[in-house]
Amino acid sequence: MTKRERNWLLLLPGGAWFLIMLVLPLTVVFIFSFGERGDAGGYVPAFTLEQYANLPARLTAFENTMILAPIGTLISMLIAYPLAYQLAVNTSRKWKTVLLVLVIVPFWTSILIRSYAWIYILGGQGIPNLLEMLGIEGVRLIYTPFAVLIGIIYGYLPLMVFPIYVSLDRLDKRLLEASSDLGAKPFATFMQVTLPLSVPGIATGCMLVFILLMGEFLIPALLGGGKVFFVGNALVDLFLQSRNWAYGSAVAVTLIVIMLVTVTVYMRLISRLNTQRDDVSIM
Amino acid sequence: MNVSPAPAGLSSDRFREETAPVAELRAVTKRFGDVTAAKNLNLTIDRGEFLSFLGPSGCGKTTALRMLAGFEQPTEGDVLIDGGIVNDSPPFCRPVNMVFQSYALFPHLTVEQNISYGLKQRRPRMDRSEISRRVARALDTVRLAGFENRKTFEMSGGQQQRVALARAIVNEPKLLLLDEPLAALDRKLRKEMQIELQDLQRQLGITFVLVTHDQEEALSLSDRICVMRAGEVVQMGTPRDLYDDPKTKYVADFVGTSNFFEGTVLSVKEDMAQVELADGSRFEGRASDSFRETETVCLSIRPEQIRLTGKAEDGAIEVVVQNRIFLGEHTEYLVRHSSLGNIIVLAPRQAELAGTAFNQGDRAWLNLSREAMLVLRQD
Ligand SMILES: Nc1ncnc2c1ncn2[C@@H]1O[C@H](COP(=O)(O)OP(=O)(O)O)[C@@H](O)[C@H]1O
Ligand SMILES: [Mg+2]
Repeated sequence: MTKRERNWLLLLPGGAWFLIMLVLPLTVVFIFSFGERGDAGGYVPAFTLEQYANLPARLTAFENTMILAPIGTLISMLIAYPLAYQLAVNTSRKWKTVLLVLVIVPFWTSILIRSYAWIYILGGQGIPNLLEMLGIEGVRLIYTPFAVLIGIIYGYLPLMVFPIYVSLDRLDKRLLEASSDLGAKPFATFMQVTLPLSVPGIATGCMLVFILLMGEFLIPALLGGGKVFFVGNALVDLFLQSRNWAYGSAVAVTLIVIMLVTVTVYMRLISRLNTQRDDVSIM
Repeated sequence: MNVSPAPAGLSSDRFREETAPVAELRAVTKRFGDVTAAKNLNLTIDRGEFLSFLGPSGCGKTTALRMLAGFEQPTEGDVLIDGGIVNDSPPFCRPVNMVFQSYALFPHLTVEQNISYGLKQRRPRMDRSEISRRVARALDTVRLAGFENRKTFEMSGGQQQRVALARAIVNEPKLLLLDEPLAALDRKLRKEMQIELQDLQRQLGITFVLVTHDQEEALSLSDRICVMRAGEVVQMGTPRDLYDDPKTKYVADFVGTSNFFEGTVLSVKEDMAQVELADGSRFEGRASDSFRETETVCLSIRPEQIRLTGKAEDGAIEVVVQNRIFLGEHTEYLVRHSSLGNIIVLAPRQAELAGTAFNQGDRAWLNLSREAMLVLRQD
């Protein structure tokens, strides 16, 4: 066997998986999106742009997704960074492992069950009930965009913490000493050394969380109570309930295109930030 | 402290700064838990000198340096810079810069940005034009002009070393600390950089404090060397002092090469001591310290101070040549004495040219002159 043949062989399982599980369904969805709905639902072959013309009917779902996903990502990042920083920089070896495990603990139960807990906390018997006892009446939390945002941040925080933690933990502590030696006060060192060198971790975390959020449907369904719809919910609805496969496919294709464009632009920005930083004294 | 009054026209601070040694360690002890990394260090660093801390790995050299830089605080004692106690002042407040062992260059910055880093931290802010002027000069000094926009990780070890140097000297520190700066370089490059370091120090007039475990490096570069052992200073002096007048066997062994013979003191007369070796033979040597009779001591003689001859002279001892290594200007002989064991002798090339060359297995005689023999504390 030549080296070339061996390389192909090694690529085979992954390649086959990629082809069957990703390319094939995507192609099918793409083709379906130009079709029509059958009388009993499903798909009837056709070539029409009607489904795409109908997209505005689901505009709210797109709006919710495009607003809440970036906001959720941003807030997760703002919460995760100090957490990851404390873990990586100010925690002793012994405690690091314990605290890191605590960050993953939520993953030991399903997001479904955890979201139910939030339904209770945000629902009538939870926080609003407490507020009422304090004399603040009529606060409604559950089934609002705010509830969805809480759920999103809660669910995806660990995914944000880890990449940032790794980038901060790997940071050579002598660079911080060098910065201090050269006259930078602690905050200046953070801005000029720590933060720039943790950009890759931030970028990875944001990308991961953002992509997953764009496809999220469980949290909006449970905590949004059918009022705060994401594109993911629209897809569940179109494919499983109204069985309008053609229209569902059009929505799916649109979502994929939006994601591709955002991610590409985002990657461009990040790589530019990493290579072209001509003056780092941000302050 | 009793300071004489400042002359008219000089504020007392200015006066203190200009007359005090650049830095001083007073009874400094540093403990990390159970480990005592530095024990009662007392030393002054003079303005403009090139001082080295020399000692084996783990003897506390880096710790001493880090206390001068401000990365570690002494457990006991005081660190002074320009006559003022700075025990608790953080690194960013000290007029001191360090060249780290692994360089610690900022990987996200270009060469120019690395070098200008220190100047950009100054408050009030320094003019951009002034910064670029100084950076350009520093780059020139380390012969890296034209490398401004390189990323540091694209550079060779020697070039990174120079960036690290430039990044420190551009700030014109009162004290430049170098922690084994050349250890990572290969031998040839190390030699080159040693010469450059020395030139740089003379040219800039900045006080250099170098940490090294390489005695050759310390000997060739320093004005003064501070030999350390297990957290303590064992001897301090010029390279010549340490080489010619080591106070202990440890220093004689660490600084240069020497032959040692163990014995006991028979008698002491002025600065000469009679020593009896285990085999009963007696030698006289210069006493490096005051010794008591019957004290166990060490006789030391440098290989180049022994004369190897082909015939028995008065007082010479007979040996057999075991090995001969040609070193160019010198020939190194390993000879064996029946009771003293192996002895290293360095013979100059002239001796060989004059016909006194020996081969393996030859009989020869060693002249151990009393002036060249040193009686040292055994420690
Ligand atoms: N931060 C630290 N924590 C604990 N022990 C340390 C620390 N720094 C140095 N030491 C110990 O102090 C001793 C001297 O170390 P160091 O100053 O690095 O020696 P050198 O630079 O001469 O090799 C060593 O035994 C080392 O293990
Ligand atoms: Mg060291």
